[in-house]
This record gives sequence, structure tokens and C-alpha cells, in this order.
Amino acid sequence: MILRRPSLPWPSPAWPTRSGTLAGLLLALLGAWLLGAFSGSLGLSPRLLLGEWPSPLDWQVWWQLRLPRLLLASLVGAMLAGSGAAMQGLFRNPLADPSLLGLASGAGLAVALWIVLLGGTGLYGQFLAGFLGALAVCLLVFRLGAQRPGQEALFTLLLAGLAINTLAGAFGGLLAFVASDEQLRQLSLWGMGSLSHALWPAAIGALVCIPPALLWLLRTARGLDLLQLGELTAHGAGLDARALKRRVILATALGVGVCVALAGIIGFLGLLVPHCLRLWLGPGHRLLLPAAMLGGALLLLVADTLARTLASPAEIPVGLLTSLLGGPYFLWLLMRRRA
Amino acid sequence: MLTLFSAGFTTTPALAPISDRLMPGELLAIVGPNGAGKSTLLTLLSGFRVPEQGSVCLDGMPLTAWEPQALARRRALVAQQVRPSFDWEVRELVALGSDAGAERVDACLAALDLTLLAERRLTGLSGGEAQRCLVARALCQLAADQLVGETDTGADQAPPGLLLLDEPTSALDIGQQQRLMRLLRRLASERGLAIACVLHDLNLAGRFAHRVWLLDKGRRIAAGTPEEVLSAARLASIFEAELDEAPSLAGGPPTLVLAR
Repeated sequence: MILRRPSLPWPSPAWPTRSGTLAGLLLALLGAWLLGAFSGSLGLSPRLLLGEWPSPLDWQVWWQLRLPRLLLASLVGAMLAGSGAAMQGLFRNPLADPSLLGLASGAGLAVALWIVLLGGTGLYGQFLAGFLGALAVCLLVFRLGAQRPGQEALFTLLLAGLAINTLAGAFGGLLAFVASDEQLRQLSLWGMGSLSHALWPAAIGALVCIPPALLWLLRTARGLDLLQLGELTAHGAGLDARALKRRVILATALGVGVCVALAGIIGFLGLLVPHCLRLWLGPGHRLLLPAAMLGGALLLLVADTLARTLASPAEIPVGLLTSLLGGPYFLWLLMRRRA
Repeated sequence: MLTLFSAGFTTTPALAPISDRLMPGELLAIVGPNGAGKSTLLTLLSGFRVPEQGSVCLDGMPLTAWEPQALARRRALVAQQVRPSFDWEVRELVALGSDAGAERVDACLAALDLTLLAERRLTGLSGGEAQRCLVARALCQLAADQLVGETDTGADQAPPGLLLLDEPTSALDIGQQQRLMRLLRRLASERGLAIACVLHDLNLAGRFAHRVWLLDKGRRIAAGTPEEVLSAARLASIFEAELDEAPSLAGGPPTLVLAR
């Protein structure tokens, strides 16, 4: 006799796992916040809990450096992983990712162009440049990949991403060549994929731009689910695919553009997090999207805390760390796909 | 009721204008050679492609004027051999496109013999099982559980809808083909669903459909009852095939067999 899971009384059987998973991730994120808040060469220490009041210097370091940095790490991580999940849904392909598809390097090139050729200095100008760069690449990649069937689209996309990454790298090199010393400093400070210059203006910028993009992405969940049936069937089920694509592309370009403008290129987060979570939670975007956002925030917070403390008082660029994590995972993924 | 007012396309893939109507309770088979425009016709009927001339109306209102969500509750589509991307659980997949509760999903799963596969993942399924999942999903979207159930209670709650299927039997064994075609026929004649179904198997079309449209080179060249449309001589010339005609069964159209 075959035993079956009894049907449950609540309307959708996915619901308890959904809230449970999200609550678990939220708790873990809280833990990572506490860990991040209390670790570092200066600032608040866990001894605060024992009643030892921090010195004014420690307090100032914590308020002016640590707190905006924690905020930024959470927001950037959530955005990169959330947009990775959404792009994978949009391209119906588990290998889509903002950095792999060249979105991040496009945004990076736009920021570099803005700094060097237009002599821009302000942070918010960088935001705009990053957004426009990401948007341009997004539209290009989408034109190339979306009209082709499955496997062919995958190769086209990956090759396009490769080409864009290479091109952006070459142009970036050229720009470094013509940049002044001051601009060069600004570029290299920004370009390594680090949260080390996160101060309040950056955190406020992120707070203004990223949560709306995240909310916007969350609202695409149902549409992304339907899209997995193919465009024809999805249309039959009431989906306006063009509106969905527009929404995902705009939100992703805005979010990723701002992330790159703030923190440089942080690789593989958008690939790694949704992919792992999908194996665990299944492909439904109503759960996957929020879970990826929480997971991305969690991972980047932990990675950034490690980056700050491993070689303290020196600091490893966090982009380096995520690439060290994500690179091998990606290779393993490719090996497994072949098998 | 779905009405076509000389609806067609001039751009490729072109489809010469068709005027006809699809009544509730009718099972229509669309047949024709490869590339005849059968799938194109389904995109027209579902509203995915908007006709360049004429119009397609459901209950007197053009498909383009319907609010997408409202239309989705009245019209569902099973496309040709599309494997959904990612590894869905069967139950999740069947619930896509509707806010169906567990009961409705269960009923639709049962209608397609999928109950035992409900917790399985899509990559573990055979082609035929995956195809049945997609049919179950379309039924679920139309709230057709009330239609497949044994009781009559839901019959007046759910207005009859339109179900479009593109070669739903292509991956099914003969037992499953029979069960699916019987289900479709029952949905049509007992519960008033209008069903248009692209079929490659002419005998299946002749045996189960109320009406047949024969397409060739982007035109509809015959429409009528199976007996009227599916004559061996006509089909032989259109499909460029040599056919033997076996005696018809129980008043149906002749059974067609490929000549050796």
C-alpha cells in the first residue's frame, strides 16, 4: 500500500513551510546582525551586555561606520540575490545572474565613465550612472536571449555576458589609463567590490533606492511562476508577459546599478543564493524571492564580517570573498550539469 | 460561446480568415498536416495573437477587451510539448495559474490519474506524465474540478469555459489517450465546456470529436462532422499518404490505416 501525505486543512499546503522558512531566515539574519554589530577592531563589544559602557570613541565608530555598513551589506546582499532569483525566473534559466550576464560590469563601466570622463564626484551621480549602465546591458542581453529557445538562449546569454564583461574590463583599463591620480584613487577605492567606505550617505542612498526595487520584485512572484509554463500558456493563464519583463528589468537595473555604484562588483551572490535555495525550497517564486533576499542579506553580512575581521585590522575586499565562495560552486554546478 | 468573425493573419505564419463559432458542449478537433497552421489557429483562439483582420469574441466580447484575469478563469490552454522550467512538484505545478485550494487541485490530479504522483518532482516524470500534469493544470485554472467531480452540485456555479489543447495525446499511451479523450468528451457534453483540440491521430479525432476542422497550408479547407470531413480520399490527397479504409465502427467515420 502506498502511503500518502494527508491533505492539510489550510488552503495551500505550501503556507506553513513558507512562513517557517522565512522566519528561520529572518532569525539567522538577526544573528548575523548581532555578530556583525559586535565584531571588529573598534566599536561595541559583547561586554556591553555585561554592563560595560563603550567609550565615546567606540560609540562613534559604531554609529558612524559599523551601523551604516551593516545596513548596506544587508540591502546590497538582498538586492543582488533577489534580482538573481528574479532574472533566473525571467530567463527561465538557473544560470542567469546579474554579474554573469554582464549587468554589474556594465553598471561598473558606466560609473567609471562618469567618474573619469565627466569628472563626477558625488555619490548620487554614481547611482544614476550605475542604473543607466545596468539598464543598457539588461535591455541588450534581453534582446539577445529572450527570443531564442532553451539551450540556445543559455549559450547566447552566457557568451553575451562574457563579451560584455570582457569589453567592460577593457574599457575600464583604458579609463584607468587616462584617469588622473585623484580619479584613479576614487576608481580603485570603489571598484574592488567592498563595503569599506560605507558611510551614512551611501546607506541612506541604498535605503531610498533598494527597498522599493525589492518590493517591486516581490510583486512579480506570481507572474514569474506563470512564466515557467512558457509564454503562450502563461498568457492563457492571465499573465501580461511584457509588463512582467518590463518590471523585472527596471527593478533589477535600478537595484543592481545602485549596488554596483555603492559597493563595486560583488560576484556570484545572485547566482549562488537563489540556486541553493531553489534546491531546498522548490522553484515557486512566492517563497523563493523573499527567501533569496533574506539569504543574500545574510550571506553578504557574514562575508563582510569575515572580510573585516579575518585579517584585522586590514580588510579583505568582500567581493573577493564572495567570488572565492561562488567560483568553485559555479564550477561544481557546471560539472554536475554535464553528468 | 466563442465566435470568429473572419479572423486571420496576413503576416507569417499566415492564416486565412475563418468565420465560425464554437458552442458550449462541443469538442472540436483541429487536424491537418505539419505546418498547416493548427498551432497558429490555437494562438488566435486563445487571444495570444491578435487577428489582423476580423475579431475573436468570447460571449460577444472581443478577447482583447477582456480583463486578463477574468479571461483566464474562462479560457485555459495546454501548449504543445512545453516542459516547464525548473523542478516543480506536481501539486505546485497543477496549482499554477489559479488560486485553487487543495481540494480542487486533488480533484484535477485525480481526473488525470496523477494522484499517486502528486508529491513527485517534474524531472522524475515521463513525457506522458508531464503532459497530463499540464492538462490537469489547465482544468484547475478553469475551476473544472466542479466539472470532473461525480456530483452535480457545481454545475451552475461555474460558467462553461473554453479549453484549448495542442496535441495533448502526443506522449500518451493508448490507455491514457482513451482516458483523456473520454474525459474531454465528458467535460464537453455533460458540463458544457467548449473544447478545441489539435490532434494528429485522425482516428482519435473521428472517434471522439463532435466536429472537425481540417487545415492545410494556412487555410481551413473543411469543417463539419467527422463523417463529413475525414474521408479517406480527401485526407490521402492532403496528407500525401496512401490510406486503406477499414469499415467504420458503430456509425462513426471510416477507420483509416496507412497502406503498406
